[in-house]
Amino acid sequence: MKKALFVLLAVLAIGLLMVSCGKKETPTATAPAPAQAVAQPATVPAPTPAPVAEQPKPAKVIKIALIIENTIDDKGWCQAMHDGITLAVQQNPGRIEYSYSEKMKPVDAGSAVLQYAGQGYDVIIGHGAQYKNLITEMAAEYPDISFAFGTSSEIVGPNVFSYMPQSEETGYLNGLIAGMLTKSNVIGLIGPVDGGDAARYNRGFVLGVKAVNASANVMVAHTGSFSDFVKATEVAHSQIRSGADILTGSSQQALGGLRAVADYRDKDIWWVGQDLAQIGIPEGYKVLSASSYNYAAVINTLVKRLDAGIKGGENIPMNFNNDGFVFKFNDATKSKITSAVEAKVNEALAAFKGQAGHASVVDWSSVKYN
Amino acid sequence: MTFIINILSLGIPFSVALLIASLGEMFNQRSGIFNLGCEGMMAMGAFLGMLVPYSIGKGADVPGIYNYLGLMLATGVGALLGIFFALVVVTFRAPQGIAGIGMQMFGVGTAGTLFRHFIGGTQSVPGINTAPIPGLSRIPVLGPLFFNHNPLVYVAFLLVPLSWWVLFKTPWGLRVRAVGTHPRAADSIGIQVNRVRYQALAVGGALAGLAGAYLSLCQAKMFSDEIIAGRGFIAVALVYFGQWHPVKIMGGALLFTLAQALQLAIQGLGIDFPYEFLVMLPYLLVIIVLAFSRKTQKMGPTSLGKPFNREMRT
Repeated sequence: MKKALFVLLAVLAIGLLMVSCGKKETPTATAPAPAQAVAQPATVPAPTPAPVAEQPKPAKVIKIALIIENTIDDKGWCQAMHDGITLAVQQNPGRIEYSYSEKMKPVDAGSAVLQYAGQGYDVIIGHGAQYKNLITEMAAEYPDISFAFGTSSEIVGPNVFSYMPQSEETGYLNGLIAGMLTKSNVIGLIGPVDGGDAARYNRGFVLGVKAVNASANVMVAHTGSFSDFVKATEVAHSQIRSGADILTGSSQQALGGLRAVADYRDKDIWWVGQDLAQIGIPEGYKVLSASSYNYAAVINTLVKRLDAGIKGGENIPMNFNNDGFVFKFNDATKSKITSAVEAKVNEALAAFKGQAGHASVVDWSSVKYN
Repeated sequence: MTFIINILSLGIPFSVALLIASLGEMFNQRSGIFNLGCEGMMAMGAFLGMLVPYSIGKGADVPGIYNYLGLMLATGVGALLGIFFALVVVTFRAPQGIAGIGMQMFGVGTAGTLFRHFIGGTQSVPGINTAPIPGLSRIPVLGPLFFNHNPLVYVAFLLVPLSWWVLFKTPWGLRVRAVGTHPRAADSIGIQVNRVRYQALAVGGALAGLAGAYLSLCQAKMFSDEIIAGRGFIAVALVYFGQWHPVKIMGGALLFTLAQALQLAIQGLGIDFPYEFLVMLPYLLVIIVLAFSRKTQKMGPTSLGKPFNREMRT
């Protein structure tokens, strides 16, 4: 009996060890010296000796910790935030020190937050609405630390920022393309769940399609999961069999939809993406365009707020106006994009860029697709 | 009509991973071993299946033989995991439920760790494509339904009669059923109970590995840590659903995936109905059928989950 118990415990221990090995520890992406951030005053030649300029106080290095449920290279949700922070690190030389913890389920993430808090991090980001409760609790416990979570527009504490991508804008652009280029007049939309920024993207997409092609049929189906890309392939095949010739989808599960589209190599079936990384993968030859989140906009705003002594209590929107989104046609499939499509997209893009603040040009909440 | 054909033609390939894994689990349970670790074995199969073509092609097309080498590797390692599981639950007589959970965690964790080490992030492979059967695939209605699938779809459905034949018509199948039902009686007539259980678990593991490789090489054509997404547990449920019989298990797998294809098609119609209920539909269906299958409890292997110790009186 003892032997059996020992073996059982050994198997469980190995299992647990292997699971925990899947979670990367928290490497520091970069930690340049703070002195690099000191702004040099401009020197103006003058006949009289210039007054001695007061040396600005070296800006404080802001330590940012990121907690994500998937990995930094998932070609979707988590990678977008990681790439955004990495870009912000480059854009703010010497100002940001960055660490991350991958594969953190909300129930496990508390210990990571405690560790970061103990190590003196200034900002702890839980990237996903599922971290809201944890962040809210921890923020009350550590009032001197700034926390952030998203996507959400809720304000949950004086030291908590929330961020919300106004994804209806990216959806709208892709919708314009799909609506103008569809030949079958059937378009497929693969959603994870009908909530958060996915709901905004989907509804923006429907509005975009309807703006240019009122008779188009947008088939909307949800997989019920952000990460089950096998199910997304099933949805995509189902929609293609039903006549869809342009498909789209959001979150990391959407990669399965693109993979299914790539199965129809020689057919006029295309994908409009929600992540620029999709253009660069082997299936990229099926991608007409992609728009991506640029979380550097959120991080840069956070840095500015912290510099101003504001620790939270605000919602940071992401849109084309504040460079929170990037849109790109795929060079490899540019021949499919007509000048009329390009003009329409550029017109909408200009409208988005000119629209400041939280209000969006696209009234996404008015759309009811089922 | 097109609507129905689409549902049927999608439900069939969707069912393959569940069908293969369930048949493997059936052999496990028929021998008296309850293997909750199916999910972990599938995860290992999914990773190893795509590792071979990915390592050689790095995303580009590779000769088909490498895909089949991937399938073989996944099947072989699945068999080894089955033997490892047998060591734990047959030789050391560990509680099968807990050991199964350990195996599930071990498989998923190992696959994820190796994936990060050897591949890095989510990557795709060209995989194994549809192989329409010449002539037959052009038959109206029946062609797209039955003769325009991936080669592994045909293999999976051929495994059903093969499993039936092995289980009910061969001496080995008789021994498997005997050790799962009356191991002491089987032992008394000279059947080596533990050896047969090892063999059944190796077969079950091999099929679980193959099922995982089907997902990564044929259906999704990519791998990520969460590729199995609970399908291993559904496979275990389908064995109960199918009352440990290959044909009924096939029926259960098809019912589940046809319900899945149906709910996707209904969502696409844009009917004003909460999609959450539609997503639930296949799972709900399995639960309802299980709840109303009163015979199920009576038909199971009577020694299922009970370790065999020939030195101990029962």
